[in-house]
Amino acid sequence: MMRISEFLRLEWLQFTRSAYFQKGLAIKILMGFLILYFGGIAILLGVGAYFIAEEVAPDVDPFVTVNNILILWIIADMLLRYFLQQLPVINVKPLMTLPVSRKRVIRFVMLKSVTSFFNILPLLLFIPFTIVLVFHDYNPIQTLVWFVGILSLSLSINFTNFLINKNNTYFYSLLSVVVISFALKYFGVFDLGFFAGLCFNALFDKPYLIFIPLTLVYMLYRANIKLLHDGFYLDDMVTQKVTLAQETDFSWLKRFGSLAPFLENDIKLISRNVRPRQVLFIAAVFLFYGLFFYTQDTYKDVPVILAFAAIFITGGFLLTFGQQVPSWDSQYYKLLMSQNIPYRQYLKAKWMLMVFGVLVSFVLSTPYIYFGWDIYAMIAAGAVFNIGLNSFVTLIGGALNRTPIVLNEKAKAFANTSGFNPTQLLIGLPKVFLPMILFYIPYKLINFEAGLISIAIGGFIGLAFRSYFLSLIEKIYLKGKYKTIAAFEQEP
Amino acid sequence: MITVNNLSKSYNNIEVLNIAELAIPKGQSFGLVGNNGAGKTTFFSLLLDLIRPTNGYITSNGVRVDASEDWKPFTSAFLDESFLIGYLTPEEYFYFIGKLRGQNKSDVNAFISQYEGFFNDEILGKRKFLRDLSKGNQKKVGLIGALIGAPEIVILDEPFANLDPTTQIRLKQLIKSETENTHTTFLISSHDLLHVTEVSERIVVLEKGQVIKDLHTNPETLKELESYFSEALDVN
Repeated sequence: MMRISEFLRLEWLQFTRSAYFQKGLAIKILMGFLILYFGGIAILLGVGAYFIAEEVAPDVDPFVTVNNILILWIIADMLLRYFLQQLPVINVKPLMTLPVSRKRVIRFVMLKSVTSFFNILPLLLFIPFTIVLVFHDYNPIQTLVWFVGILSLSLSINFTNFLINKNNTYFYSLLSVVVISFALKYFGVFDLGFFAGLCFNALFDKPYLIFIPLTLVYMLYRANIKLLHDGFYLDDMVTQKVTLAQETDFSWLKRFGSLAPFLENDIKLISRNVRPRQVLFIAAVFLFYGLFFYTQDTYKDVPVILAFAAIFITGGFLLTFGQQVPSWDSQYYKLLMSQNIPYRQYLKAKWMLMVFGVLVSFVLSTPYIYFGWDIYAMIAAGAVFNIGLNSFVTLIGGALNRTPIVLNEKAKAFANTSGFNPTQLLIGLPKVFLPMILFYIPYKLINFEAGLISIAIGGFIGLAFRSYFLSLIEKIYLKGKYKTIAAFEQEP
Repeated sequence: MITVNNLSKSYNNIEVLNIAELAIPKGQSFGLVGNNGAGKTTFFSLLLDLIRPTNGYITSNGVRVDASEDWKPFTSAFLDESFLIGYLTPEEYFYFIGKLRGQNKSDVNAFISQYEGFFNDEILGKRKFLRDLSKGNQKKVGLIGALIGAPEIVILDEPFANLDPTTQIRLKQLIKSETENTHTTFLISSHDLLHVTEVSERIVVLEKGQVIKDLHTNPETLKELESYFSEALDVN
C-alpha cells in the first residue's frame, strides 16, 4: 500500500532534483529572496490593508471598504490562476500501472493542487488582515468565519480552474463579466463590487452564511474527484488534446527575403504554443503599467519615474520574449545547430520580431494621450530607446541564458529561473536605469523636452551600432555553442 | 570524404570515445554498431560539432568541423526528436528545411511526393503538429527531412528503431537506392545487426569508445557480428 508519505517523498525528490534546483547557490539565494519579497509584500499588504482603507475612506468602516474591493482580488486570483497555475495532472502517468488505488492517487493529486503557491498567497494576505481586525475589536469568531469564507472562495477558484482545464470559453466569459460589470458600474446601473461587498459584509454579520462558500468548495472538490475518477485513463486525462494546424498564408513575409522562413517560424512558435502565448499576455499587462504611475499625482513631479514606466509600456513583449532567445528554440536547438543557418540571420529575425512588438505596443498605447502629450511623447521616446538599445541588450542577456523551455506547457510559478540569473540581472540593469539617467541629466540641466530627446538619441545611437551589436551577440553564441547545446538537452 | 584524426572525447576525465584514425570515402554507406555506451551517438555528435572534441578533430570534405561551419550545406542528420520542430506540421517542417537548403515549395513538394508510400497516408495532409504524431511517424518525418536538398552526407542515429516492419523494409530499400543513384554518403548506427549489414558496405564495431572491428560487408559479416556480440555475453 502506497502511503501519502511515499507520494510526498516522490514530490520532494522531484522538487529537489529538478534541473532548476541544482543550479548554483547564488540562484538559490536569489530565488529565496524573491519568494521572501513576494511573500513579504503580501504580508505587508495584509497588515496594511486596514490602515490604508482607514486612510482612504475615514468615514466608512475600513472592513467594509476592504470588502467592497475584494471582488477585484477575486478576479485577479481567477486570471492569475487561469494563466499561471499549472495543473498537477500530468505526473499521474507513471502511477497508473502501479498497485496504488485510484482513490489514493486522486486524493493526492487534489492535495497537491491545494499546496500550490496560489493557495499560499491568500493565507499570507488574509491571516495578517484577520489578526489586525481582531486587534481592532472585531468579533474574533465572526472574523474567523469571514476568513474561512474567503479562503473557501479562493480554494473554489483553485478547483474550478482544475475543472475547466484551460478552457477558452471560461476565460472569455470571465473577461466579459469584468467588462460588463465595469460598464454597468460606469452607467450607474449596477455595482458588482458593491454588491459583492454586501455579500462579504453579510458573511461577517450572519456567520451561518458560511455554509454557502463551504458547500461551494465541497461540491467543487467532489466534482473534481468524480472527473478524475471517471477520466483516469491515458487517452482521457493524461494525454494532451490534439489540435489541428490552421492554414495560414505567410507569403507576405517574402519581402523580408532570407529572414522570411525564420519569421514565419517564430510567428508559428508564438501562436501555437502555450508558453509564448503567456508572454503575449504579460506583454499586454505591461501596456497598462503606465496607469499605475500616470494616475497618481505623486509621480507627476518626478518625471524620472515616468521615464521608467514609459520603457515598460512599449517594452513588454521585447523584454519578456527577448530574454528567452534562444531558449525558445531549445527543444530543437540541435537541428538549428546542424542546419545551414547563419547566426546573424537567426538573430536578425528575432530582432525584427521584437521591434515589431514594440511598434504594436506603441500603437496600442495611443490612449495614453489622455494623460497629456508630454506623457505620450515620453512613451514614444521610450519606444525608440527600446528598439535601438534595449532590444540588443535583451538579446545579449538571452544569449547568456541557457534555460531550456518546454514550449507547450504553462510556466510553473517560480519554476522559471531564467530571469533571475545573476549575470542576466546585471545586464538587465541598464535596460531601465540608462533611460532614466539619460532623461534626468538633460531634464535637470535644460528641460523636459531635452530629456526626451536624450532618451530617443540613445535609441538612435543603438540603431547606428546595430551591426556591431549583432556581431557581439554572434560571438557570444559561438563561444557558448557547446554549453548551450548541452544545457538545452537537460530536462527543464 | 570524412577523416578522423586522433579524435577523443572525455567527460570528467573518463574517456568515452577514442578513434585514432578512420576514413570514410565519398558515397560509402557506413554502419556503426556497438552496445549502449559504446560511443556511437558521441561520434555522430562530434561529426555535427554538437559537442567539443577533447583531442583531435574531424574533417569533412576538407573542412574541419569544429573550426568552420562550411560543412553544414552538404551535411544533414537526424539523431533524435530534438531535430524536429514540434509545433510545425510535417509539410511545414519539410518546407522549412527546404528553405534552409535552397529548395522552394514546389521542389520540396516534388521531393516528398516520392515518399508517399513510405508515409503510408498517415503523415501528409493531416494538418497534425509533429508533437502530436506517434514516435514512429515522427521518425519517418525526420528521416525524410534529412534527405531534402540532396545532401552529400546523411547521418542517421538508430533509424530502424521505433519503425514498423514494413517501414523498416522500405527504409532499407530507400537507403540502398540513394547510395546507388546519388552517391550519398550514409552514416548509420543501429542495434539491429541484420538491417545494418543489409544497407552498409562497411561496418565498424565500437566498444567502450574504441574501434574493435572494421569490416567490409560480405555474406559472412552478419554471422561474424553475431558471434562477436555473443562472446561479450560469455565473458560476462
